[in-house]
Amino acid sequence: MKEKSSRVRAIKEIEVLDIGDGDYQPKTTPDEFRRFIYEHKSKAMVDKRMDVRTAVKKFIKNGVSIAIGGCSFVRLPMAVVHEMIRQNVKNLTMVAGTRTFDLNLLLDNGCIKHLEIGYIVGMEVFGIPRLTRKKVEDAIARGELTINEWDNASMAWRHKAAGMGLPFLPVRNMMGSDGFRRSGGIKIRCPFTGEELVLVPAIYTDVAVVHVHEADIYGNCRIYGAINEDWGKMRGAKRLIITTERIIDTDEIRREPEKTFLPYFYVDAVVEVPYGAHPTNMPKMYYLDIDHIKEYMNASRDPSGKALKEYYEKYIFGVDSFEEYLEKIGGKEKLKYLEDLERQRKNVDGEH
Amino acid sequence: MSSKEKVYYNDIELMVVSASRVLEDKKTVVVGTGIPMVAALLAKKLHAPNLILIFEAGGIGPEMFTFPLSVGDSRTTFRALKTSDMPEVFEMCQSGMVDYAFLGGAQVDMYGNINSTVIGDYYAPKVRLPGSGGANAFASLAWRTLIIMKHEKRRFVERVDFITSPGYLDGPGAREKIGLPPGTGPYRVFTDKGIFDFDEKTKRMRLMALNPGVTVDDIIANTGFELIIPKKVREVEPPTLEELKTLREEVDPHRIIIGRR
Repeated sequence: MKEKSSRVRAIKEIEVLDIGDGDYQPKTTPDEFRRFIYEHKSKAMVDKRMDVRTAVKKFIKNGVSIAIGGCSFVRLPMAVVHEMIRQNVKNLTMVAGTRTFDLNLLLDNGCIKHLEIGYIVGMEVFGIPRLTRKKVEDAIARGELTINEWDNASMAWRHKAAGMGLPFLPVRNMMGSDGFRRSGGIKIRCPFTGEELVLVPAIYTDVAVVHVHEADIYGNCRIYGAINEDWGKMRGAKRLIITTERIIDTDEIRREPEKTFLPYFYVDAVVEVPYGAHPTNMPKMYYLDIDHIKEYMNASRDPSGKALKEYYEKYIFGVDSFEEYLEKIGGKEKLKYLEDLERQRKNVDGEH
Repeated sequence: MSSKEKVYYNDIELMVVSASRVLEDKKTVVVGTGIPMVAALLAKKLHAPNLILIFEAGGIGPEMFTFPLSVGDSRTTFRALKTSDMPEVFEMCQSGMVDYAFLGGAQVDMYGNINSTVIGDYYAPKVRLPGSGGANAFASLAWRTLIIMKHEKRRFVERVDFITSPGYLDGPGAREKIGLPPGTGPYRVFTDKGIFDFDEKTKRMRLMALNPGVTVDDIIANTGFELIIPKKVREVEPPTLEELKTLREEVDPHRIIIGRR
């Protein structure tokens, strides 16, 4: 045997320095994911349009792992979230960096069993909805809700790793934090440089749901504005539902391919839902509906839960469709106002 | 100062103005949600027009008029240099491109460790808070971390209940020892009572300046750990009319942040 070079020796001695106690979900490996894609993703150019009810019934079953696109108050696929609540989907594992309104609605309605997450229950400048927080605290104490604590960067890189078809990525944050302890990260010494790194496991989900600006009937789609972690989320999901503000012609897609965010063969369902992100912000189309968010926050302040129940009756259980919901929040007039806010950028660009 | 006119302002306005002054022109800053956004935008509008604001959802270098309500809303991409995504923003931090991180929190300790995750026991929380968001990576990877929060004894604690975002951990050399990039860490803390920095040797929080009307005793009484108190402490310049006007009329015209009690 030839003497091993020092480089080979170093690589054989990759040291595991620390292991987070938190474990991680879902456990799908790159090879399992590859196999699924090979066997189940048709590359046929077929019309994938369906209504939101069918899409949820078909792809968002009890117990699946799910990633929702957009983040914070931007581009959340609210029509799908409403429908999930109406169909009473349970025991979901939700993976994400920052979630706000979408997750809070799902938490209020007891849809979530496990979270791999960077930011929960908060509504940024609007504060924290009281009843959601109470529900989460109680559920944690009773062991009904489990959380592996990550942060937006590690989650973004976990999604990215899946998009790359890898089992993990090495990252340089998380060290020294209690978040590392509550996470499933593994700390190693870099075999090349000797620096310490945290390995974060890739997230291959059962399903992802993303609201986009434009798509054709096959799923070729366009997104404008900040992208959050959607690039990894969409490519790392076994099934991908997109809801879209409008359907455009495939010729239009082909004329300007540089605008395409994702080609159609990743996509399993195309659901046309104008204003489908309401009350969140759809960049270049409509601004967030502050009144509606405040209405929800106020409802959550009533400790009896009556006001919150009324909120859900009025906007989700008492309506059949997202169009009907849009009527309830103020219809065309309100939507036009939100479009004006976004288009004229009142108080945004100094044109006031 | 030429104007003898009495200037009125509240604690949050004072805290925002004093924090905004530290942000230098021609630097990059990643901005957490809420108060940091207001202070960073104020700096950009006044003394730091070439300050590059970066938001974790993907807004890079926007020139917004009014502060955004969310780290991703369309104000964060208004007249921006680029719309990007979370991996790219955090990779900018990781590769050393980001000078400042600007963060809030629920608790901070003498080493600048921040808790924004939970008050009380993790598994039996007294108060569950949102968690890290982008803060952990910002505080780990940006060169200098700025912290802004209300100065109360329950917030300035001996030990934070949960280290969401690392400060100097348990003292000098601890960040490097645990593997965080060298040369990074907390730089200043801004509160409604004063400004604080960190002693070079011990990495402990040190009183740097008192807000107008605040005494050293006030500070000690409202701090749950032993601060380093130098013999001489300067006083923070009160907000100017220009600072307040820009803050109230442009940055936060609906008083969403500055009107908080």
